[in-house]
Amino acid sequence: MNEISKTLAPQTRRKLKVKPTTTGDKVFSGVTSAAASIAFILVTLILIFLFIRAAPALQNQGIDFVFGSEWDPDGSGVMQIFPMIWGSIVIAALGVVFATPMAISTAYLIVFVMGKRASNIATTLVDLLAALPSVVLGLWGLWVFTPVGEGWGQILNQYFSWIPIFQVTDVAAGFRSSPFIAGWIVAIMIVPIITSVTREIFSQLDRDLIGGALALGGSKASIFRQIILPTCSRGITGGVLLGVGRALGETVAIFYVLDLSFEINWSKLLEPEGGAVASLILARFGEASSEEVSGLMAAGLVIFFITLIINFLANGIVARSKAGTR
Amino acid sequence: MSNFLERPSVQPWARVKKSQQLELILASVLPTVIALFVVNVFGVHGAFGMITVFLPLQILAAGFVGVRRFGKKGFGDSLLLVSTISFAALVAVLLLSVLYSVIIKGFPALSAHFITQNNVYVSTTTSLEYGGVGHAILGTLLVVVLATLAAVPLGLAMAVFLTQSQSRLTGPVRSFTQALAGLPSIVSGLFILSILPFLGMERSGLAGAMALFPLMLPTVARVAEEALRLVPADLRMAALALGAPNYRAFFQVILPAAKSGVVTAVLLGLARIVGETAPLILTLNANVSTNLNPFEGGIAALPTYVYGFISSGYDTSLSRAWGAALVLVILVGILFGLARVFSRSKSLKTKSSSKKKGNK
Repeated sequence: MNEISKTLAPQTRRKLKVKPTTTGDKVFSGVTSAAASIAFILVTLILIFLFIRAAPALQNQGIDFVFGSEWDPDGSGVMQIFPMIWGSIVIAALGVVFATPMAISTAYLIVFVMGKRASNIATTLVDLLAALPSVVLGLWGLWVFTPVGEGWGQILNQYFSWIPIFQVTDVAAGFRSSPFIAGWIVAIMIVPIITSVTREIFSQLDRDLIGGALALGGSKASIFRQIILPTCSRGITGGVLLGVGRALGETVAIFYVLDLSFEINWSKLLEPEGGAVASLILARFGEASSEEVSGLMAAGLVIFFITLIINFLANGIVARSKAGTR
Repeated sequence: MSNFLERPSVQPWARVKKSQQLELILASVLPTVIALFVVNVFGVHGAFGMITVFLPLQILAAGFVGVRRFGKKGFGDSLLLVSTISFAALVAVLLLSVLYSVIIKGFPALSAHFITQNNVYVSTTTSLEYGGVGHAILGTLLVVVLATLAAVPLGLAMAVFLTQSQSRLTGPVRSFTQALAGLPSIVSGLFILSILPFLGMERSGLAGAMALFPLMLPTVARVAEEALRLVPADLRMAALALGAPNYRAFFQVILPAAKSGVVTAVLLGLARIVGETAPLILTLNANVSTNLNPFEGGIAALPTYVYGFISSGYDTSLSRAWGAALVLVILVGILFGLARVFSRSKSLKTKSSSKKKGNK
């Protein structure tokens, strides 16, 4: 058998010509490869140009730009954004805490429970949620959601104020413009992305695993807890990280529902002060002097750097977990 | 494909008994009724009270039915179902609340002159009978079309590279495209702002379009890549075997086959950028009159229009903001609906082809 196939196989394999030969093809492959490099070029250009414009501020402030907490560009010229960075992290964490259960539940229902038609409709609705402009969410968040979220915050403060994160310094100041409310707005924005990643991971799950568990008498709940969640946990983590990246970059909606403050707010979620780097840029940009613009560019550089790292991490995790479930 | 977790109840062919149906109906209705009763009579206030009363009741009821029908493990199942459905319902409620309030509050502002006139003689307190978002609609269209003109061909070319190239660079190219997809929109605006002096340009419509370009590109590339991937490789191979050069195989065979998918890519890219606000605030100068010159002068766009009117505190300008938001959401909805139609026509095609295979 082996010998026959050996004799039948061609002795030398003709080399396939992969390189384009005609002019038209040369142009075609040149154009497509040039276009392919655009993403790389853009990312590099953004880093370079932001750095050029941010350099004066970074030079003046040094490392304290990231770790200090004072913003007085017109007086002493000090620009430090740590409260904003910390605020962004708090809001992103809150958003993830609110959004992840919603997203996993929605994805579970879409993939495992709903019929084909219902799941199609649900998918479209979730995608529509992703396409809602953030300025519209800001408008809704300021005039519709804030009163509701204020009520939730009040109740949390009333009954759970023995937990430090629900304490406030001044109850009379109200519960508007808090990281809690901003966290909800961000959660609405990142639910679609976590849902769509989770949905994809769920639908690539090996069906035989579930069939086997059913045959062994497993219940839906045990399948969810012991099969679906463990095998998909990496993909879900990746989706959540993508959501974190989106949350850190969110600008306009947070700008409307949060009071930016350079008094650092470590953990009081209901306090009407907080921070967000991207919203700071928007808030200060209009009346900024050229020194301050440089500081804002530096803030943009910081936020871009963080989201870039998170995105690379997240996409790597998602890609690997997709390969794993197959 | 979906629905496979739906375990047949012991005997799939057996009809569900009347008493069991009654139990199901009671379990889904009773908690709501009791909760409404409790909230109204005892005055537990607001949505929070509703949820604290309703959820435990619903879990109890569903758990009861689950245990009755499937024994012990039924409880976990019903708990899972109730909790997933309530979380998903929360998503639905939030989405519908946004859409509902935009429609209800935006509708009074909507009229023929609101979408055609511009804002020249409008102050924060001018009544809604005067002025409108006509200039902002035109400005949005101008900026978005300019961005599209650049992003679509390049995004398509990227998709071609990602699907056809045998180069080892496809991996890095894909991850950089994904990284670009996560670019915070305000950073895109800052970037364009930072290169404007080097290009000798001012803030203008063109600058706005340039700021939207990096945001649109990855969406177009990703969706177009998926569309091109759906075209069977045999088609391209056949074209090449007939002696067609690569570019003609693409333009005359692959592109027509993937047409609806590519259109979907363009529409989704448009939906992605049409509502972008932060980059436009940074790169456009505000304007109250119509300006269609992308090279100089201020230009208004719908998102920046909404942004400008949100927090002025006057009822009329707030109505203007809601009205403009409604126009914006309608635009997004139209783009989205068209994208659905086109992507459905694609799935219909694949369905009919698979049917043919089945008939063989």
